[in-house]
Amino acid sequence: MTNLNVVVCAGIVPDPLQTLDPVQTGEKPGLRNEMMLPHVLDPWAGHALYEAAELVKETGGKLYVVSIGPKAKLQQVMMTIAQKVPFQLIAADAAAGGFSDSKQIAVQLAELVKQIDGLDLSNTLLFGGWESASRGAGTTLQMVGEILGVTDQFQGVDKISLNDDGSFKVLERIEGGKHLHSSCSGAPAVLGWATGYLPEPPNNPQIGMTNMRTIMPALQQAKPADLENPELTFTAVELPKQKRDTKIVKDISADEIAQEIIDWIKSK
Amino acid sequence: MSKILVVTPVESDGTLPQAAGEALGAAITLKEMLEAELCIGIWGQDVDMAIENLGTDAVSSGFKVEGEAFTVSRYASDAAACEAICRQAKADIVITPDSVRTNRTIAGVAFRLNGVSDTHITEFKIENGDLVVSRWHYRQRILAHLKRSQRPWFISIESGVFIPPQGDSKVPSTEALSVDVNDALTRTTVKGIETPAGDEQTIRPDAELLFVAGAGWTKKQPDGEVKAAQAADIILEFLKESKSSLGSTKSLVDLSSEGAAVLPFMTQLNQVGQTGSTPRHDKGLATCCHGEEPHVVGWRFVNERRVINLDPNCGWAHGKADVLYVADAFTVMQKVNELLGNQ
Amino acid sequence: MSNNERQSMKVDIVCVGFGPATAGFLSEISKNLTYDDGSVKLSSRAMPGMPLQIICYERSDDIGFGVSGVVSKAHSIRQSYPDLNGSEIPLTIDVKKEKLVYLLDPHGASSRSAGLKITDKILKLGKWLPWYKKEALELPVIPSFLQKHDGLIFSMGQFSQWAASRILGSGMVQLWPGMPVDKALFFENKMIGVQMVDQGTDKKGEPADGYMPGMQIEADLTVLGDGPVGNISRQLDEKFGLPDDHQQKDWAVGMKMVIELPAHTNLKAGTVFHTFGYPEPEIFGFLYVHPENIVSVGIFVPSWYENPVRTAYRYLQQYIKHPYFRDDIKGGKLKSWGAKSIQESGKRGEPHLAGNGWARIGEGSASTNILTNSGVDEAWETGVLLAQAVEKLAAANQPFTQENLEKTYVNMRRKSHIEEEAEQARHSRDGFHRGFIRGLIGMGLTGLSKGKLNVKTEPKSTHQILKQPEDYFKGRISKERIAELKQQAFSKGLALNDLLMQELGWPEIEYDGQLFMSHQDALLVGGKVQAPNGYRDHVVFLHPHLCKECDNKICIEMCSGQAITPGEDGVPNFDNDRCIHCGACMWNCVKPVESKVDKINIDFQAGAGGLHSAEN
Repeated sequence: MTNLNVVVCAGIVPDPLQTLDPVQTGEKPGLRNEMMLPHVLDPWAGHALYEAAELVKETGGKLYVVSIGPKAKLQQVMMTIAQKVPFQLIAADAAAGGFSDSKQIAVQLAELVKQIDGLDLSNTLLFGGWESASRGAGTTLQMVGEILGVTDQFQGVDKISLNDDGSFKVLERIEGGKHLHSSCSGAPAVLGWATGYLPEPPNNPQIGMTNMRTIMPALQQAKPADLENPELTFTAVELPKQKRDTKIVKDISADEIAQEIIDWIKSK
Repeated sequence: MSKILVVTPVESDGTLPQAAGEALGAAITLKEMLEAELCIGIWGQDVDMAIENLGTDAVSSGFKVEGEAFTVSRYASDAAACEAICRQAKADIVITPDSVRTNRTIAGVAFRLNGVSDTHITEFKIENGDLVVSRWHYRQRILAHLKRSQRPWFISIESGVFIPPQGDSKVPSTEALSVDVNDALTRTTVKGIETPAGDEQTIRPDAELLFVAGAGWTKKQPDGEVKAAQAADIILEFLKESKSSLGSTKSLVDLSSEGAAVLPFMTQLNQVGQTGSTPRHDKGLATCCHGEEPHVVGWRFVNERRVINLDPNCGWAHGKADVLYVADAFTVMQKVNELLGNQ
Repeated sequence: MSNNERQSMKVDIVCVGFGPATAGFLSEISKNLTYDDGSVKLSSRAMPGMPLQIICYERSDDIGFGVSGVVSKAHSIRQSYPDLNGSEIPLTIDVKKEKLVYLLDPHGASSRSAGLKITDKILKLGKWLPWYKKEALELPVIPSFLQKHDGLIFSMGQFSQWAASRILGSGMVQLWPGMPVDKALFFENKMIGVQMVDQGTDKKGEPADGYMPGMQIEADLTVLGDGPVGNISRQLDEKFGLPDDHQQKDWAVGMKMVIELPAHTNLKAGTVFHTFGYPEPEIFGFLYVHPENIVSVGIFVPSWYENPVRTAYRYLQQYIKHPYFRDDIKGGKLKSWGAKSIQESGKRGEPHLAGNGWARIGEGSASTNILTNSGVDEAWETGVLLAQAVEKLAAANQPFTQENLEKTYVNMRRKSHIEEEAEQARHSRDGFHRGFIRGLIGMGLTGLSKGKLNVKTEPKSTHQILKQPEDYFKGRISKERIAELKQQAFSKGLALNDLLMQELGWPEIEYDGQLFMSHQDALLVGGKVQAPNGYRDHVVFLHPHLCKECDNKICIEMCSGQAITPGEDGVPNFDNDRCIHCGACMWNCVKPVESKVDKINIDFQAGAGGLHSAEN
């Protein structure tokens, strides 16, 4: 299939290896010093992006990234991904985070997709991560699809293979480390990606140079998005309370440790 | 009075999935808390067996959508069936099981009904007369308690938290609903299930023990050598002997994906924490994972946790594991294999 | 394998490294590339019709992953941003109070000279004096050259992010982190750009899956802001040598922690402490109180400290347990941690500042004032001066030749206050090569006389200064015991420094998992120290036979991340996953090798990864 476009809905999240402390001001939860934390592209959305880039390379279509986040953080994340694959950014400026409601995010994402000049949805796949490292709900993309009238949807996708007639094969993760194999007659469709099989592309300065010429203006034009949802109330946010009393076992032989582990494994 | 609806597809053999039983268990808890009416909606090729074996008498009515088109796990047909049930049931709270199939479906259906949805719910409580649910954010690192005023509210429960009802079944009166199977529902066809290549099954969700391999297995050992092949042998033998499930840290999975081919059987499906799963097992044994995700998020739902690590001060095991063995995992696991082999 | 062909790209100016100097350069130049109506003011040769095409590559994984304990007068930064409002930048606050404190040794475990011990006893007799508090003496007067009043306390990470955001927001320059630069490219004696590090290689740099040869970025001007351990700057030094009589022999490793203070603390935001005397007389320290109950606290372990087993981490833990700070910090939580090398030769170590097609700014150009311990604002200013010079040359369509850069940039630097102050500070540290007391006296003399009076001496390299542990600890720990401890450290993988300190009577550090934790756990705090796959090891032991015959291995002891560990055959192991790129290994080796400059047996190249905290 030629000129198949891919729109990747990609959020940004605090670097998952940072220490995260919740704070709550009134009924608004958030992360302590959230704007100080380095952010990254949501890891699953990252996989979606790299898979999308490979796909449009094959079809000759165009790759769009649609994202909602604080402008300064989006700008920071773009510095780390825009050298990887060529794309066009469509962004909205909002304090989107793990406590934002996915419905509000979906509505805004769908609006941004609708704003893409000349995009023919019937020749487009909507990609994203199947969950996020922030909200981890796995609900946003379905709603983006519903708003845009796309009812062929796949979640936990690890592989897509295009056929010449525009149909494609999808492997979705299911329980037990297995994959569900489906075939769809063609675009449009929604694919929420798990990790796929592609490694992260290397940084290519040439791609970065070209991307940034359109990304910076897109960021400058990013309009504020309203994510307020008065019907949702967080009553509390907290770190796990349970702290285990860790027993340190040292200065005993490997044999003794092995036996202890065996006894533990066998115990009920 | 609140009306609670549990919706689920049936298994291909017509039985109620385990996760649906848990959803029903959760719904019964909630019914008691809210003094609500409980109903159930089921779709699939033939759902009567499931309706007749709910294991409870708490369900007052049922809805079903039957037909070949609803047998397979497919968003368009699943959403259509689920939507039809929800519209007819007019429940204000919809409880769904934690399965890949239903989790793929409910947000879209909730949206069609102008409702809202929350997934991975681990707890219900009533605060000041309002239903408050709990769920983990930021990869199981922050627990949030939330409530909503909008209805219908679709709530997908986290697996392993609620117990399926085990009592006598009372078959509710069930209304059959018809759903138009148009072309839009069948643009996607399901071809089957693919199991991972390789001789060894390394992911076993039902295993009692999760064995987590960290990046230390493929790093230079104290003698300055990398012993990946030996590590692979030890790990595979342990999995074979103990029938445990294999989890891994992101860094080890990434190594494999970038061609280092350090542990040939390791795939991204094995990853726990970060972009991997958060599996539920009774026991977890983490090895060579200093400072890596299993201790932080990947084993949030593992009950008993032990660690083998060379660093007695490993701050990421402290407070998160029950026992930290200060030892060389190569030596200990070889010995464990030996003992398991002898038994 | 794919993408095997090395590609190239043409820009006008390529910058190597993003720190305060490059931030100053880019801030200034990005304002002047176009006129207000958007028309081109400074034209590109690489892309005719466009403004100058400027691109900056930074080694670390993100902007703001740098380390510095920053208290600065911020004069130059404020000139660049007259609207600078500290409250816009997290962790920033005006300096409100300064203290200079001499810390006594409450344990009697430090290596104090007899003279200093007597001084301490005398000081203790004055316990009733108002300046004596908790085993410390607060100096009633702070010499003017050390004062930072009207200045700012800030976090290097947060400041860098803020500056980068403004620079990028201009849309005039490109800034790419996670991009180590490998080589300086020359055509005859003209620098024509840089080559990026190869990606998709194994640890030895050999092509592996996903191999992509580092792209060559051709530029009329390469701006070197890669800091004191930057590999491109060092390649230039090796090619051109240092100016006559110049030498870079004085170094220090600065290590810091960012700590969230307990609620009961009495430390007030905006307070600056400079300390000396503890944990060892040679080790200076600082504590800056940020807003929201956060402190930056750190120490400097200098190259002239003769102890060959001088792991900064343990000393830093000991430092925050000193009675003077202890109660205010106890119960706090470690939020972040890091370390960096500091070039302390000052004016005496200044390298060539410009050549054909290149110019050097910031700390790597010896902008840090070694008397006032001030470097960020100076670095920023060098960047601004270069930007002004580039603007002049580009506007006049003049090429970036050595002659033109000397006439403009170098000339402007010579006339600047940085130069004047650096000249005054030239000999300020010399005295420390003759002992702690003489060092202090020398520094005081230099400072108070504005460089007219000095305690002068010829600095020595680390490998000339370092003693063997057996010699250094003579009279305190026997040779046999040191041998035992060495063996214990090797077999159990423990830090020798910890064992020796324990032997000397230093109290054990009890880990609480919050503030006090193992060195390895500190690597996991504030964003795990990490290295992406697909890059070669950036620390290379040049001649393995020299390592095999080395019985000192200061590289292992001095490594800030415990990334260098004993190797079975005598050649140390290097684990890039633990490297925080402080560069201490670059000057902590006792085996010199042939070079135009002071070079030792470890090659510290540019690598990806490292610290992942933006709070340092």
